[in-house]
Amino acid sequence: MDENLKIVGKRVIRSNSYAKVTGGALYTADLKLPGMLYAKVLRSPYPHAKILNIDVSKALKVPGVKAAISGFDAYGVKWGVFRYTQDHAMLPTDKVRYIGEDVAAVAAVDEESAIEALSLIKVEYEPLEAVFDPVEAMKDTAPQIHEQYKNNINIHIHIEVGDVDKAMAKAYIVREDTFKAKGEAYAMMEPYAVVASYANGYLDLWMPNAGPHVRAKALSNLLKLPLNRVRVRHINSGGAFGGRSEVAPGDLVASLLSIKSGRPVKLVLTREENAMCSRQVHDIIATVKTGMKKDGTIVAKEYKTIYDGGAYSSTGPIATSIPYYVYEECYRLPNVRYDGYRVFTNKGIRGMYGCHGRAFLAGNEAQMDLMAKELGLDPVEVRLKNGLTAGELTATKSKIISCGLKDTIIQAAEKSDFKKKWKKHTRNKGIGMGCVAIMCGFPMGFRSGSSCYVKINDDGQVTLITGMVDNGQGNESLAVQVASEVLGIPMDDINLVNADTEVTNLDPGSYSQAAAYVGANAVKAACEDARKKIIAIASKKLGVPEEEIDLKDRVAYSVKTPDKRMPISWITREAFFKGEPIVGTGSFFPDIDLEREWVSKPEGQMAGTYSFGTSVAEIEIDEETGKIKVPKFIAAHDCGRPINPMAVEGQMEGSVGQAGIATIFEGNMWYKGFLLNPDLLEYKVPLACDMPDIETIIVSSNDPKGPFGAKEGGLTIRMNAYSAIACAFTNATGMLFEELPLTPDNVLKLLEKNKGGKR
Amino acid sequence: MILPKFDYKKARTIEEALELYNKHDGNAFYLAGGTDLVPLIKLRLLQPKVIIDLKGIDGLKDIKKMNNSLVVGPNITLFELKQNPFIKDYFPCLFESLEATSCETLQMRGTIGGNILQNTRCLQYNKSLEWRTARGFCLKMGGKVCNVVPNSKSCFSNYCGDNAPSLMTIDAKAKLVSAKGERTVRLEKLFSEDGRSPFTIKPGEILKEIIIPLKKTKGAYEKLTVRGSIDYPLVGVAVTVKKDAAVVAVTGIGPSPHLYEIKEINEKSINEVADWAYEDARPVLNAVLTPLYRKKMVPVLIKRAFKRIGAGGGR
Amino acid sequence: MKTIKVMLNVNNEKVTLQVKPYETLLETLRERLSLTGAKESCSLGSCGACTVLVNGTPMRSCLILTPEVEGASITTIEGLKNGEKLHPLQQAFMEKGAVQCGFCTSGMILTAKALLDRNKKPEKRDIVKTMSSNICRCTGYKKIIEAVEETSKK
Repeated sequence: MDENLKIVGKRVIRSNSYAKVTGGALYTADLKLPGMLYAKVLRSPYPHAKILNIDVSKALKVPGVKAAISGFDAYGVKWGVFRYTQDHAMLPTDKVRYIGEDVAAVAAVDEESAIEALSLIKVEYEPLEAVFDPVEAMKDTAPQIHEQYKNNINIHIHIEVGDVDKAMAKAYIVREDTFKAKGEAYAMMEPYAVVASYANGYLDLWMPNAGPHVRAKALSNLLKLPLNRVRVRHINSGGAFGGRSEVAPGDLVASLLSIKSGRPVKLVLTREENAMCSRQVHDIIATVKTGMKKDGTIVAKEYKTIYDGGAYSSTGPIATSIPYYVYEECYRLPNVRYDGYRVFTNKGIRGMYGCHGRAFLAGNEAQMDLMAKELGLDPVEVRLKNGLTAGELTATKSKIISCGLKDTIIQAAEKSDFKKKWKKHTRNKGIGMGCVAIMCGFPMGFRSGSSCYVKINDDGQVTLITGMVDNGQGNESLAVQVASEVLGIPMDDINLVNADTEVTNLDPGSYSQAAAYVGANAVKAACEDARKKIIAIASKKLGVPEEEIDLKDRVAYSVKTPDKRMPISWITREAFFKGEPIVGTGSFFPDIDLEREWVSKPEGQMAGTYSFGTSVAEIEIDEETGKIKVPKFIAAHDCGRPINPMAVEGQMEGSVGQAGIATIFEGNMWYKGFLLNPDLLEYKVPLACDMPDIETIIVSSNDPKGPFGAKEGGLTIRMNAYSAIACAFTNATGMLFEELPLTPDNVLKLLEKNKGGKR
Repeated sequence: MILPKFDYKKARTIEEALELYNKHDGNAFYLAGGTDLVPLIKLRLLQPKVIIDLKGIDGLKDIKKMNNSLVVGPNITLFELKQNPFIKDYFPCLFESLEATSCETLQMRGTIGGNILQNTRCLQYNKSLEWRTARGFCLKMGGKVCNVVPNSKSCFSNYCGDNAPSLMTIDAKAKLVSAKGERTVRLEKLFSEDGRSPFTIKPGEILKEIIIPLKKTKGAYEKLTVRGSIDYPLVGVAVTVKKDAAVVAVTGIGPSPHLYEIKEINEKSINEVADWAYEDARPVLNAVLTPLYRKKMVPVLIKRAFKRIGAGGGR
Repeated sequence: MKTIKVMLNVNNEKVTLQVKPYETLLETLRERLSLTGAKESCSLGSCGACTVLVNGTPMRSCLILTPEVEGASITTIEGLKNGEKLHPLQQAFMEKGAVQCGFCTSGMILTAKALLDRNKKPEKRDIVKTMSSNICRCTGYKKIIEAVEETSKK
């Protein structure tokens, strides 16, 4: 079946595009339910303070207000991704830990009444000393943000492989660099919103999320409601990028208000609230020491990285280790010492972002280029030399299955004429390359797998039921396209019910890059189950062996004698007659080492497979103003096989903006605990005129286990575009950046410094 | 984000507008394109009792040649204004600043009058009521301190209009009308240099006309931004050259544009003005790039503008 | 506070509404007329997700007070298709893969429509300039520009 693919691999219109271009696609803030109330949240004005008292009584007296709640109305449960990071009450009763933290909320018949009521809630605080810098926060003299984390160290990840000290001592060259990066903002176009409706003992919720099942489970715990009573429903989502993965305070707020008022409640965050009070991206300070042989082989890596985690754990150890993992999955690192610290500060909570760790990568890559240059090698050579290949193990003993890394490097280098341009760089023109590997689904315990159900109508159309969720990447269409291929019926004949926790079974969600490899694999398995049953009946009815039958254009037919055919709709009716309707079930659980643990046992198979990618950026530096222009960008990504090449391209192109131009534009600015640019004007999201000329290259390494060979579709670029720009800067100036982003002021500072020193 | 309560009135004539303003005891704001005013109200930086819409007043959208001047109505949109042949032919500096303003869609809504009279900006000012309450009200909000420069008694908010500086370099005048009558002043006189209350316009005064002497000029507008569209200027430099003389206006740094004249253009005089403007620029950390950087860019942009114009002194 | 009577022509349908004086056009469209295609993303006019056409001109509806546009003809994304026939831009956006999360889509399409209505054969740089009025976080703009280019060639 494999090489005569009918629809997989084709540029198809996404199944949910029509609703989006006609204004019919509903997002959470668009929902209107009968009797719905509007919620508003009262937030902490202090970065760190004891809560002495919360009095909502006056708020309840405002006409139109139907409920008012605070943490004292919750159930005393603290949430955490891991048992050992359960520190988040969502609505605190002890202390507030960041400016903007949810403290109390009201629900009223209209927004105006809610705003008025909010102003009548009295909260008594006792301000405490706050800390905003992670290095300061680790000192003994710093204020303790959580009782249980000494020195405000949320997580310490220690990874030790081989003998780093010995290897460094024997290395031909050793280089150590320290660099920083400001955390960014997700700036997804849809501000966070939740609609919660508690009725008849069931709580229904709608919110943009990247994993409805994990969300429902978290809320079930927080509300002490059985899991079947908490139903997270399907709704369109306006971008997540990693910032909508975990349960949010807003979810608890809306739920409590709905439970109390007995009516549906809608909470919509303003853009400012979205930036300050949902998730931000970690700032980092990293020291990277690398030892290399004379021929450019990396022999040792030693890391100390500090991640500014904000006020709560969020993904905790995941965020603390992933930046290193995406690097070790790409390159051969025989000896490693990694110490990653996620540290609390009194700022908003930091989460994963386009996987996570691109600034960390950027420093590694740029350093590698400088070392390579010293050895007379160019970036292509050193990456080919150290890049992993299929069958190898990463430093923490995870096997690489399919690997198109080499192809992405070579093709991107050829297309961009990299070697020549790199050699012929000038002071203000450079070219840079960045590589990375992305794990397709990481260990999430029993939630690492996905299941799908298929039902077929007597008219031959299909309903696909899967937990997969779409935040704009095209996962919904992906499921439908895969089903269309296996069942031989057009995409338009396939209905999709997805991301509804009452109906759909467990799925890891889209935040560990699992949609194609895990979710779509389950869809394929379920469709193949149905297909088998269809073919069995067709074989009997047509008198033709099963191996000869194919499904195409709604028809089952004999490949040898094509006029022996019957519509799939007839077959489904036959099945109904027999009392055995055609249904398909299928699951996929990736081959991962479930004993692997982020902190206690950081080794073993991390993911079922990895995608690989290479970005190449050309930059021009205006030496007078420090402004960097990016005229050209080449992105090459190994997605195993593109199910919908347009979708993979779209991911790559979007990443060039969000992770390429971001390198020179984006960063959150803080004054103590106050975010200075929580809006879409002063936070510089790239515009059309800022984008380079982009060329995308899709490499197909045909993963043996991925659905039709497919792996995740484009996230490598959302990590390594950042590196490519940083490396281009290094090529032009001979310097490793000190701090990202490379905004004009930072660049000018570096250029002036450079003028003084030698190159 | 919903707006706070206020009433809306549409004025059909200037007299009606003035009357409505006086009726509400100064608790009113005039509305043109709304691209500056509406966000300020949404953030609760302004809390008017009534909004007086000026867009219905005849004659405020016209642009006509009168004697030796171009008389521009304040309600004409930036987009329309830049299409006018006089602007491109006579005033390239103004043409460039119009092109550089914001983005195309906002140019189609924003008016030249509103663009000139936009409020000054600061990272710690243009924030929601909740943000500002937590931070503490600053000088510009009626408080006692500057949140950016501790112990400062001055407000360092930035005037970020692109077009007032260009207009200043082409000798534009503003005609204002109030219940007391009309007055015409040079555009630079509109600025008070006080960030708390950036304009010398009297309460209720309406900008009626912008009068520009119709003389062919050479000119350029240099704008420093991070992005290529939408952004306000982090530094803006307008230069207009008439024969051997030039006028330079610097915007984006501080509460009002700074104006400089060169009587005879040559490399020396350009450098002098560049140095002078550098000295005068006192940016603080109230915009997204560092103050020292923005200060450094002032002379860079001035020299670039002259170079592009090709008037003596270019390298 | 008294409401104001406003008559609008929305997607070729006359509507008469009683609106608050301090109501934005975006609110009116989304809350009173259930036309939720225009989105609230930044509320302050910085992003263009709320763009609708007012007498054919693209405007950020979050910055317009509804009483200001009394008598105007408003076109929202919902009004673009002709019966069941999609506007060529809607078709192109789908075919070119220019829609990912979709939140910016209605603003993008309407802004592009206004461009093509006033300039039938725009250069690519004109398209880029116009579309730089709207923020998209997902697509990197390439396929959006291609969709507009392709439509302009038809």
